[in-house]
Amino acid sequence: MSATALHLDLPELTPEAEALRREVRAFVAEERASGHLPPPTRIGLGYSVETTKRIAARGWIGLTWPKEYGGGERSALERYVMNEELLAAALPVGAHWVADRQSGPVLLKFGSEDQKRFYLPRIAAGECYFCIGMSEPESGSDLASLKARAKKVDGGWIINGRKIWTTNAHRVHYMIALVRTSTVEGQRHAGLSQLIVDLTAPGVTITPIISMAGEHDFNEVLLEDVFVADDCLIGQEGNGWNQVSAELAYERSGPERWLSSFRLISELIDVLGPDARSSSLEELGRLLSHLLALRQLSMSVASMIQQGRSPNVEAAIVKDLGTKFEQEAVRVVRNIVGAEDLTADGRAARLKGLLAHAQLYAPAFTIRGGTNEILRGIIARGIGLR
Amino acid sequence: MSENSTFFRDTVERILADTLTQNDIEAAEQRRLPTALYAALVENGITALLVPEDAGGVGAELGDAVAIARALGAAAAPGPVVETLVAQWLLADAGEAPVEGLIALVFAPHDGHRLFDVAWGGIADHVLVVGPAGLHLPSAADWTVVPGHDAAGEPRDDLSIAALPPAIASPVGYDRALRTAALLRAAQTLGAVEWTLACSIDYAGERKQFGREISKFQVIQQMLAELADHVLASAGIIEAAGANPSLALVAAARSRVADAADSAITVGHQVHGALGFSREYALNHRTRRLMAWRDDFGSVAYWRRALAAAFVDCSREEFWPALSDAGLSPAA
Repeated sequence: MSATALHLDLPELTPEAEALRREVRAFVAEERASGHLPPPTRIGLGYSVETTKRIAARGWIGLTWPKEYGGGERSALERYVMNEELLAAALPVGAHWVADRQSGPVLLKFGSEDQKRFYLPRIAAGECYFCIGMSEPESGSDLASLKARAKKVDGGWIINGRKIWTTNAHRVHYMIALVRTSTVEGQRHAGLSQLIVDLTAPGVTITPIISMAGEHDFNEVLLEDVFVADDCLIGQEGNGWNQVSAELAYERSGPERWLSSFRLISELIDVLGPDARSSSLEELGRLLSHLLALRQLSMSVASMIQQGRSPNVEAAIVKDLGTKFEQEAVRVVRNIVGAEDLTADGRAARLKGLLAHAQLYAPAFTIRGGTNEILRGIIARGIGLR
Repeated sequence: MSENSTFFRDTVERILADTLTQNDIEAAEQRRLPTALYAALVENGITALLVPEDAGGVGAELGDAVAIARALGAAAAPGPVVETLVAQWLLADAGEAPVEGLIALVFAPHDGHRLFDVAWGGIADHVLVVGPAGLHLPSAADWTVVPGHDAAGEPRDDLSIAALPPAIASPVGYDRALRTAALLRAAQTLGAVEWTLACSIDYAGERKQFGREISKFQVIQQMLAELADHVLASAGIIEAAGANPSLALVAAARSRVADAADSAITVGHQVHGALGFSREYALNHRTRRLMAWRDDFGSVAYWRRALAAAFVDCSREEFWPALSDAGLSPAA
């Protein structure tokens, strides 16, 4: 049977990982004590250059990378433990998140020696941030249909195209753009390449897109005759699709897929007491059971990555389940707030505010980083249906 | 899954393949037990799996029992096998000699002399009652039995007895015994869900409509992918609870697999269409057991309330560390 193609590899956490967990908890306590971490009023990753620099000072960006590139040479499981502690405490880690999670690892895997030496130590120092240039106005789920093109010129490439839904483009340094560099008849996945674009380069125009939740995270990035030098090509010309596929496994399996709204559940727990209705406890218990199960899956994927395996199907399962869990969390908290009358007459104002924001934010969970329908297509292939 | 667990699972799968027939599964609905299966399980030490070696058992880990229960659930094997496995462990732990035969298992938090809906209660060779004071093992002949059955058609009997014999002190204790039984039922449930997924994938690859296999339709792919999500998530938390049967992990396992069971029933039948509704087709044996097992050894609602209640007093800052540590700390 094909369902046995799904792998589970529950790791035992090492003493080093547990020691790191205690260090991160102590750091979180310091951040709270020093007033750097007020109880959050919004969900999502948050963005603070100052917090990123303090995290970098601990050596926690690029934790798994080789020391020669500024990394910590720690295990993927230790990185997992660090991340879940930072996310559960709602640290604003958004500035370095993409660079640490996927831009850095892509450079490490496919980049040239010069690229690794130039970018990785600065990422690890918390000084250099990235965004992802994949989606386009006409290319969402069907990413391979993208139209941005780079033309080979002397000494580099000239890029023309339009990227959209580019989170943080207005405040980070670089974008890794997926663009078409050649056309191979009948092979739509061939001829794509990844190029590093300095977002201050001439010809780059960044326009804000305000989200339904009233925030400016997204942007549209217009690239008009933008020149990038030869040393901005990552890996091989034409190999972009394979490189992006590897990158998406990092993007999909992390604890941010089920912990970005954890603060909403924490806030509910803070307000809820032992006299809660049994129906409220049942809904909450169900939610917590899904969270604890997701956590095991996330650790299992981290463990498989550690062993050099490519758990792409399992990563897709984490994201499909994790993002649905986050939407369910909003629904459950809203139901319990209503059933228990928790926010009436001005009570529990913070919970009320968080819930209002989470409700507006929630529809994005199952879209960003690959819609759940696309993810389930990957899962279906993994269990032998396609 | 550990090497030992894989070995025990393979052993039980072989026994099931050799001894259990579709007729045996159907005969259970006429209150008849598959004797060849039990003889083989006893011979291979499976019913004494959790009994320590110095008490004549196998001395295996709870995780091994979880692996076995999964295989039993997948095969829809009738009879109180996991109950016997838990009961023999409790008796050995209490210093009692092992008893012969199959043992029904009942948890009676209050009054143990009137018991309702006891799985295999009137058929098993013994009924072990676990109460707050310890274990009670009356002579089987002392029970008055009112036969009944569950959704799977298997016996669920009401039992009464004039008086229970005095309690045998149980070092394991009521709570841990209940968690163990509840977890093994969760593992059986997972087995039946896994079987349903595999069977539905196979069927979708064979059944043709509109000129092609129904597995080629995205809507079918999406449904089965969601069931696969449920299987992997349930397997993760059940295996974690097998390694550390804490209240948080066992409660989470029971709650999580209940949602998987609901999905298996919905998706399994929807993919199979009318065929799955037929008594002759094997899907119904798993579907009906998923319905019957759902609320055994603490209802789904009971475990969900217990899980939430463990954290509801936390402040916002205390909550994550408490939840995180409860999900990882070594078994007491």
